[in-house]
Amino acid sequence: MSRYLVLDKVTKIYDSNNEKVHSLIDISLEVEPNEFLCVIGPSGCGKTTLLRLIAGLDTPTTGKIMLDGMNIDGPSPERGMVFQEFSLFPWRNVLKNVEFGLEILGFENKREIAEHYLSLVGLNKVKNKYPYELSGGMKQRVAIARSIATNPSILLMDEPFGSLDAQTRNIIQDELLKIWEIEKKTVIFVTHSVDEALYLADRIIIMSRSPGRIIEEIKVDVKRPRERTDPTIVKERYRILKLLGVEIKKIANV
Amino acid sequence: MMGKMRKKWVWLIPLIIAIILWEVIAIIINDPSLLPRFSMVIISFYELAIKGYLHPDISMSLYHFGIGLLAAFCVGVPLGILMGWFKKIFILLDPVVELIRPIPPLAWIPLIIAWIGLTHHAAGFIIFIGALFPIMISTYTGIKDTPKVLIDTGKVLGCTTDLKMIRYIALPYSLPSIATGTKMGMGVGWMCVVAAEMFGVSESGLGYRLFSEFYQWNQLDYVIAYMLLIGIIALILDRLFRYFVEDKLFKWKKGIVK
Ligand SMILES: Nc1ncnc2c1ncn2[C@@H]1O[C@H](COP(=O)(O)OP(=O)(O)O)[C@@H](O)[C@H]1O
Ligand SMILES: [Mg+2]
Repeated sequence: MSRYLVLDKVTKIYDSNNEKVHSLIDISLEVEPNEFLCVIGPSGCGKTTLLRLIAGLDTPTTGKIMLDGMNIDGPSPERGMVFQEFSLFPWRNVLKNVEFGLEILGFENKREIAEHYLSLVGLNKVKNKYPYELSGGMKQRVAIARSIATNPSILLMDEPFGSLDAQTRNIIQDELLKIWEIEKKTVIFVTHSVDEALYLADRIIIMSRSPGRIIEEIKVDVKRPRERTDPTIVKERYRILKLLGVEIKKIANV
Repeated sequence: MMGKMRKKWVWLIPLIIAIILWEVIAIIINDPSLLPRFSMVIISFYELAIKGYLHPDISMSLYHFGIGLLAAFCVGVPLGILMGWFKKIFILLDPVVELIRPIPPLAWIPLIIAWIGLTHHAAGFIIFIGALFPIMISTYTGIKDTPKVLIDTGKVLGCTTDLKMIRYIALPYSLPSIATGTKMGMGVGWMCVVAAEMFGVSESGLGYRLFSEFYQWNQLDYVIAYMLLIGIIALILDRLFRYFVEDKLFKWKKGIVK
């Protein structure tokens, strides 16, 4: 079951070489169960930080992050994450990568579950290959299968398709939507591509340049499957690009 | 086809040239107490084999080597893991390690004889000292270099304790590095065998025989035969290790290191 996620005035300050780096300032956000939320913003504005805080890999300096009213305390398989970098375990083949979380949690039918999710991303035929034998798109598909195999209620995705070519990217976006519809999960998806956000999201959050704040929220009320050239999408695209353009100009002027 | 055959055997050429040079120079010098001829060494080798030296000597040396290497592995890998994973342990142990590491294994001999007497374990200890540091240092380097994203992935997938993160992520990631360290440790450890057997822990062994008998008898041809034997055994150990251990562990690394 998906769950209700709340961020309440979250601020994150990193201590890097005795210098305080303000990464996120005063982020308040509510994410509904089963929502597909995209986060977009200039590079370095704290998008990865935001996901790491929700994942429990880092703790907020101030503020609270709650899931169904309970404070998040450390990482948990109920919040899956797909990282920006390739993150497959190179010593495990594809199947064993997907089995990883199930193995740690002591599932008995880990093989069966892993094969199910591998077929969901269309990779059952390469299950015995090693990561170095896979293309970038395949690697991220395996990472997705691995992150949902333990059935998390929230899936955090950090620019997962950023390094893929446009065509692969389009295909894998459709696959992700299909999985999201079947599996009923909350997805928080970070991207730097406005098109990607508009194609995927129920709602888009736009962040300011570093230190990151939320400057705008946009509901994308377009029925799926979406046309990438839908008039509403084109209109919103223009607006978002303008907002981001202002933020990027600010960076250039600093 | 011819080309391939040639490539496969080219390594023999420098070897043959070296042997011919050796033979010629030895003939010119004409003094076996300075340089015995290669052909003479081969004959000596044959004599030694017939006299029944080889088998007990090789087994004894491998026994000492085995004790030392096993101990080095059993101490070096766990210590390396602890030092690589826990920064505090590294800070505590690193100065001690760096202090002991430069001391040559040979310098330990008097102390070891005082501690454990002239036993097989004393020889094993010298070899242990030689093999320990390469194993330990490669282990902690491997563990320390585990990519952060893999550790984070493990955390998100349920590795909640240090033990789980080490067992499921850092250790498998470090295995090739540990294997390389073990191979280096084997090399150094084997080099210590002669020294370890020199002071008389046993009545056989390649080092014992070479130093306490052949050298004392002024049998330079026997000495060289055993030197070559020590080299050949090291080569075989190295190839066996590469074939049975390293190649298997490195399979998944192809994409990373080529
Ligand atoms: N572990 C860290 N230590 C110090 N500073 C960090 C750390 N992680 C991120 N930062 C800083 O926080 C800011 C936001 O980083 P990040 O969340 O990676 O941005 P984004 O993903 O939007 O590109 C950057 O200024 C970055 O340098
Ligand atoms: Mg990022």
